[in-house]
Amino acid sequence: MPNDLWLSIGAILPIIVLAVWACLLLLVDLFIPAQRKGWTASLAAVGLLITLAVILSRLGQSQSGFGGMVMVDNFANFLSILLLASGLAAIALSHDYLQRTGIERGEYYVLLLFSISGMMLMGMASDLIMVFLALELLSIPLYVLAGIAVPRLNSEEAAIKYFLLGAFASGFLVYGTALVYGASGSTSIAKIVQVIQAGQHNLTLLLAGAGLILVGLGFKVAVAPFHMWTPDVYQGAPSSVTAFMAVGAKAAGFAALLRIFVLAFPVVSLDMTPVLWSVAALTMILGNFVAIAQKNIKRLLAYSSIAHAGYILMALTPYGQSNVSADSVASALFYLVAYALTNFAAWAVVIALEQADERGLELSDYAGLGRKQPALAAAMTVAMLSFTGVPPTLGFVGKFFLFRTVIEGGFIGLALIGVLTSLVSAYYYLRVVVIMYMQEGEPVVRRDGWLYATAFVSSIGVVALSIFAGPLIALASRAILNLF
Amino acid sequence: MTPLQIIFILVAAMTLGAGLMVVTARNLVHSALWLILALFGVAIVYVLLQAGFLAVVQVVIYIGAIAILMIFAIMLTRNIATESGPRFSENWSWALVIALVLFGTLAWMLSGWEGIAAQAPAISPRFDTVRELGLALVSPDGFVLAFEVASVLLLAALIGALVIAWDRR
Repeated sequence: MPNDLWLSIGAILPIIVLAVWACLLLLVDLFIPAQRKGWTASLAAVGLLITLAVILSRLGQSQSGFGGMVMVDNFANFLSILLLASGLAAIALSHDYLQRTGIERGEYYVLLLFSISGMMLMGMASDLIMVFLALELLSIPLYVLAGIAVPRLNSEEAAIKYFLLGAFASGFLVYGTALVYGASGSTSIAKIVQVIQAGQHNLTLLLAGAGLILVGLGFKVAVAPFHMWTPDVYQGAPSSVTAFMAVGAKAAGFAALLRIFVLAFPVVSLDMTPVLWSVAALTMILGNFVAIAQKNIKRLLAYSSIAHAGYILMALTPYGQSNVSADSVASALFYLVAYALTNFAAWAVVIALEQADERGLELSDYAGLGRKQPALAAAMTVAMLSFTGVPPTLGFVGKFFLFRTVIEGGFIGLALIGVLTSLVSAYYYLRVVVIMYMQEGEPVVRRDGWLYATAFVSSIGVVALSIFAGPLIALASRAILNLF
Repeated sequence: MTPLQIIFILVAAMTLGAGLMVVTARNLVHSALWLILALFGVAIVYVLLQAGFLAVVQVVIYIGAIAILMIFAIMLTRNIATESGPRFSENWSWALVIALVLFGTLAWMLSGWEGIAAQAPAISPRFDTVRELGLALVSPDGFVLAFEVASVLLLAALIGALVIAWDRR
């Protein structure tokens, strides 16, 4: 066998390990009795840990594989580690929750692993065809996971809405890919860049393609005006799935956006920057203002996730300026880490308070939590402060980094909108804190070690990493996109 | 206008018309039958693009398997083929406006491109499309990774379909 084939296989070894592990887990799960699905959960976690070990053992190398189909660089490794950690957190949140809501099935973990392998592939994909396939590989398991609580009606509704709009979004992505292919004669990002540098591209077609790709991926990361599905899907899907979806799908979607736009599309930045500017501004304004009206914690976090997608997209706005684009990538990655940790802390508390038949999800159910469960309330408070962007939390450092990038790019107006909408968001985030500490109530809390561990590890991480943010910022800054 | 262009316009009109009928037909079985016509139109477009093998694949897989499977699914599902409730959301006029604007913009952008009037170069008769396609699908510098990922994707979709559809009683 030719040597470079082995090199290519080596480059995507983590994904091969994860996908093979998922297939084996599917078989092993057959022999695990229905009351002992905890074994499946543990085995899935072991698979994630092995994959993580494979990645950690080969950090620092940068390698392209399969004739430029994938590019395993620091950027891809950074995202893979984030996604694997998110997968571990998701499994920790899932097991007890699925068991007590009566929807635990071994396939849940298998689908979760497939979805994560799709997300990791998305971070590596350096060919538009791979971007499309990775997007489908991450999405289809998520559609099913959103509906895994059938015959509960709103879970079915979530699944079908997510599926229909996801398919619609894929259509945009494929159409955009076709136009980019027409404009440059290739789907490989490296070759597209070559064609553009040689001046042999067709600018109009490239612009139309870039716009359609933005729409397709914009649906996935839930930026306005492509966010309509988010509240219903986040509310209807089982909470453990939502917690994972909010991080994983966003991280993967932004990974593809960053790689495609920063590497291949600086040439259309004159036209795309105003589009990105307005989409980011609209998303931040809409997400934060509509969140104020929410009474249900899952819907509130859904709108909050829309708003945060807007903040991350803000970093992408100056992508065409070659002196800022590295900061764009670094600040977006850093914010994704901040968002992931904060998100899992918040959702762990939400899951701890959720009762059967979707009770315990109103904001009023959080009354008295500060007195009854001070530790959980503290974790939730840290999460809310981090979402708002108050020091000393990771959310603050992340937002600071984002705003600095945007101002460096010369978009002071956009940064101002970001700061003002953050102030607005303080209203609804802090309202949760006020309800927890200032109102009397008897919250019913589920006691589960893994749930508590996730809440505490994430919230301690949010505070600790903000105080010692240097190494993480350095890591994010080193996660550069490689072209060849 | 060359004969090829006239044929293309006729086929494109037929495909679009059939596609429109798929979403407007009142009976689901009729929709599925219109879909077959639309898919057949796409197969003819492949022929016009000198991709004969893909045209055959299109007919065999999309018409021979997928469309037939859909008709079976419709016929085996109770009360699905009859009309029930409105088929369009009340926002359909907005959707129409947005779709037309999007189409108009794309058409306008494409009309300014010199390649729009270019003739397709003739493919040498010795060029073996099937062979080239096969090599591209399995060569490491071609699409072998895409091919493999697509199979993992299909496996995940298969498991997902079973998870959703399996009767738990």
